[in-house]
Amino acid sequence: MSTTIPIPATPTFAPKARRMTLKRRRQFAGVVFALPAIALVVCFIGVPIGQAVYYSFTQWNGLTSTWIGPSTWTQAFHNTNLWTALRNNGLLLLSVPFALAIPLGIAVLLHQRVAGWRVFRSIYFLPTAISWVVLGLVAERFFAYQGTLNSIIHALGFSHISTNMLGYQSEALIALGITFVFTMIGTNTMLFLTGLATLDPSLEEAARIDGAGRWRIFRSITLPHLSRFIQLAFVMTVIALFSALFSLIFVMTGGGPGYATTTMEFLIYETGFNQGDFGTAALYGLILFVITGIVGVVQLRLIGSNE
Amino acid sequence: MTTLVTPPTESEGTGEPRAMKKPRKVGRWILFGAMVIVAIVMLYPFWVMVITSLKSESQFLSGGGFSWLSWSSLTSVIPVGQEVLSSTILCSASIFIILCVGLPAGFAFSKLRFRSSTAVFLVIVSAMMVPLQAILMPEFVNVTKLHLTGGYTGAILVYAALGTPFSVFLFTTYFRGVPDELIEAGIVDGLGYFGAMWRLVLPIAVPAIATVTVLQFIQIWDDLLVGLLFIQNTSDRPITVGLAVLAAGRTTSIPGLMAGSIISALPAMLVYLGFQRYLVKGLTMGIDR
Amino acid sequence: MAEITFDGVTKIFGDDIRAVDDLSLHVADGEFMVLVGPSGCGKTTALRMLAGLEDITSGTLSIGGSVVNNVLPKDRDVAMVFQNYALYPHMTVAQNMGFALKVRGLSKAEVAKKVGEAAAILRLTDYLDRRPKALSGGQRQRVAMGRAIVRSPQAFLMDEPLSNLDAQLRVEMRLEIARIQRLLGVATVYVTHDQIEAMTMGDRVAVMRGGKLQQCDTPQDLYDHPRNEFVAGFMGSPPMNLLRGSLESNDSGLALVLGSQRLAVPSNYATSHQLPKVDGPGVVFGVRPEDIEVLEHSGSDSLSTKVERREALGAEILVHLALVDAVGNDAFVVNDSGAVVSRPTTLVAKMGPRSGVSVGDQLQVRLNPDHFHFFDTDSGLSLRRSS
Repeated sequence: MSTTIPIPATPTFAPKARRMTLKRRRQFAGVVFALPAIALVVCFIGVPIGQAVYYSFTQWNGLTSTWIGPSTWTQAFHNTNLWTALRNNGLLLLSVPFALAIPLGIAVLLHQRVAGWRVFRSIYFLPTAISWVVLGLVAERFFAYQGTLNSIIHALGFSHISTNMLGYQSEALIALGITFVFTMIGTNTMLFLTGLATLDPSLEEAARIDGAGRWRIFRSITLPHLSRFIQLAFVMTVIALFSALFSLIFVMTGGGPGYATTTMEFLIYETGFNQGDFGTAALYGLILFVITGIVGVVQLRLIGSNE
Repeated sequence: MTTLVTPPTESEGTGEPRAMKKPRKVGRWILFGAMVIVAIVMLYPFWVMVITSLKSESQFLSGGGFSWLSWSSLTSVIPVGQEVLSSTILCSASIFIILCVGLPAGFAFSKLRFRSSTAVFLVIVSAMMVPLQAILMPEFVNVTKLHLTGGYTGAILVYAALGTPFSVFLFTTYFRGVPDELIEAGIVDGLGYFGAMWRLVLPIAVPAIATVTVLQFIQIWDDLLVGLLFIQNTSDRPITVGLAVLAAGRTTSIPGLMAGSIISALPAMLVYLGFQRYLVKGLTMGIDR
Repeated sequence: MAEITFDGVTKIFGDDIRAVDDLSLHVADGEFMVLVGPSGCGKTTALRMLAGLEDITSGTLSIGGSVVNNVLPKDRDVAMVFQNYALYPHMTVAQNMGFALKVRGLSKAEVAKKVGEAAAILRLTDYLDRRPKALSGGQRQRVAMGRAIVRSPQAFLMDEPLSNLDAQLRVEMRLEIARIQRLLGVATVYVTHDQIEAMTMGDRVAVMRGGKLQQCDTPQDLYDHPRNEFVAGFMGSPPMNLLRGSLESNDSGLALVLGSQRLAVPSNYATSHQLPKVDGPGVVFGVRPEDIEVLEHSGSDSLSTKVERREALGAEILVHLALVDAVGNDAFVVNDSGAVVSRPTTLVAKMGPRSGVSVGDQLQVRLNPDHFHFFDTDSGLSLRRSS
């Protein structure tokens, strides 16, 4: 037996493998080396996607599933919670321009290379290392009735005004959005700073010789150069918005008050684990998958266009 | 003779911009001020954590005072030691798998290309875009049915699977920059493909390994969802889960929570400060050239 | 040490790209064989097949008498020097050189001894602990050589090893490599696109073009008797002048008609060459730039020309000469644009640095009748009869 079967992945190939051409041997090694990664991704990401499609048509509590058919989908779309979550995600999208513009400003500031800019850079990026769980805890302190926000308002002389943003349906989402912008600052600043570093300084000098002012240079040279980085930051920010807010919401509001801060990803968790409705949660997951898929295609094209 | 004269004029040239800078000195101070303000905003979380943790619960409610109480009684509020240990185990095991699986795959996709390897590569890379929430329910049920939620195994495998697409992408991109001849030289020198990977590819890939490790460490250390759902025993919880669950309960002492937060934030911050450049490299991989 | 034989070796990439087409070549034991040709001629592919880095589509390749078509590179016992050196960046010079020996399981002491010997030959002894990054281009090149020679392999394979060096270093290393190869007596296949390297280094030179072997000979034979127009044009700098003309027979014997001028062709060419019929389809006439000299008077063995351009190279002057007719106008010489090798209508002559020619001068030039070359207009093959 052992003489007829070439033994894979051993450093010295069995004598019988001599028949294989060099190219085959290389390809064989390639398949063997790629296989573990393929297996892991297929088992833990690929298969669940297929299962999600199946279970989205069933009544499923995690143990037993009964086939219902496409009516699960019409049912889901009549669920107001889904529309609330989608609306919340939509409203949160309004924070994306801030999550891009503020880091862009900070990156340009850092790029001026004033004394100590390296230290400042490290400070600005530092919150990036911290868990959004922790940042959520801090944000809760900031927005709380006895928190920093009210202290600032009072210090500014408006002692009659007191806010409790996380406690009100109308304001909690705004607080979440502000926290989200803060958490994205480090990453996006890092991206833009890298982009600025790849800008050829002689371009700027040439423009200055041509008589362009600072603003003109920024508009006509810096911004177009950064466009790839801005696109990438945009995509990363939107994906984070749809798939990374869980920690913040879990710690800050638990999705409430009511469903005021329940986004798609939190709705999936809530539906599956609090209501035990696994089938509907799987269906919601697919909707999220489609949304991020669309954004992801844009991202892949950005990466692809670079090669 | 003329060539001998040039160097001094060049050094005069470098002095020139310094002279030009002078009129902008005021502008520089304004810039500096703006940067200080941004720094204050970015340091705010740390300030809150430190100040709050240095108060007793009653001092926190009344607003003033200073106390070591939340630190001295920290372990009774949060099992910090156990949770940090859990986080460490989760991180190291997942990253180990991510590296063991990603490095050979990157080598294969860049240097040992096989039939339709490009298509397979693209499929794996697109898995980067799949958020865990999208496949959360089937994933949870699968892992539970396989009885992997008892210890760390389920969470480790999920983390490994989620981190693998990025690591494959990064290693492949990295190895594309390594000349083919280097591997060929090794093969002519007497190595097989496995030997080439072990003795040439691995040592050359050290910067890429560092990048993957740092990024995944921060990702996994800071994560909540996987640890929350895929680890059944409360005694095996990582620190982020411990903090989040306590916070969501809303009965815990805030100073204690903040002290725990500092403990949770420290390792990731240290890793970040030590390996900042690898982090930047990983984030901008594929676009900064 | 061993001989190398390519027997009808063909390499097809994809469906129909013939990188190497029916290559048959024998490299004797200890011989220095240079494969030369323009980029894309298949010389590197041939070398890579020999190294075992590329599959052989058809034909057989043997080293030391045994067929190696499907033998793994590590079992072929050949050493290769790459164009970009491919030094392992994470190893020191000594580790780089000793790596292949270590892989083959030699003891540390043996490895150190062999590396030491090779380093002495290459004058690298002082650099053994450095990393490749800390070396100059020439030193890296030596390490790449060292990595090959420590193994005392059956054959050395070198893929344009000098092309990344500056001109001066290249001349130096040319001699160095030739010296080491003679010292070790290992069969060597050396790939280059530089005909000077080919001429100076090779025991024999194989000229390739479009995947096909054009000619394989000693450098001098290649230069003196190119088998076709391509080899004639490729070897030598500047290349051989190739003009299209026709043959004519008159009272004084054979003559070559170039435009309106006639050039006497010594009668021995009629026997040594298979010349086309008089007044036939014509012939491609070749003469090397150094075989053109200026005369004071006109004669049957000279051409009247006008200087179009001169390039002073210091040690010599290249003079571009246009043929003129009896009235002094530029003569019309057939220029076939469809030819595989461009056949210019001017002659380039190499002249001494003191020759006072200037643009516009009318010159009588004598072409050395001992070194005429004749090629078939269609096939480009030399018309010389093989002796």
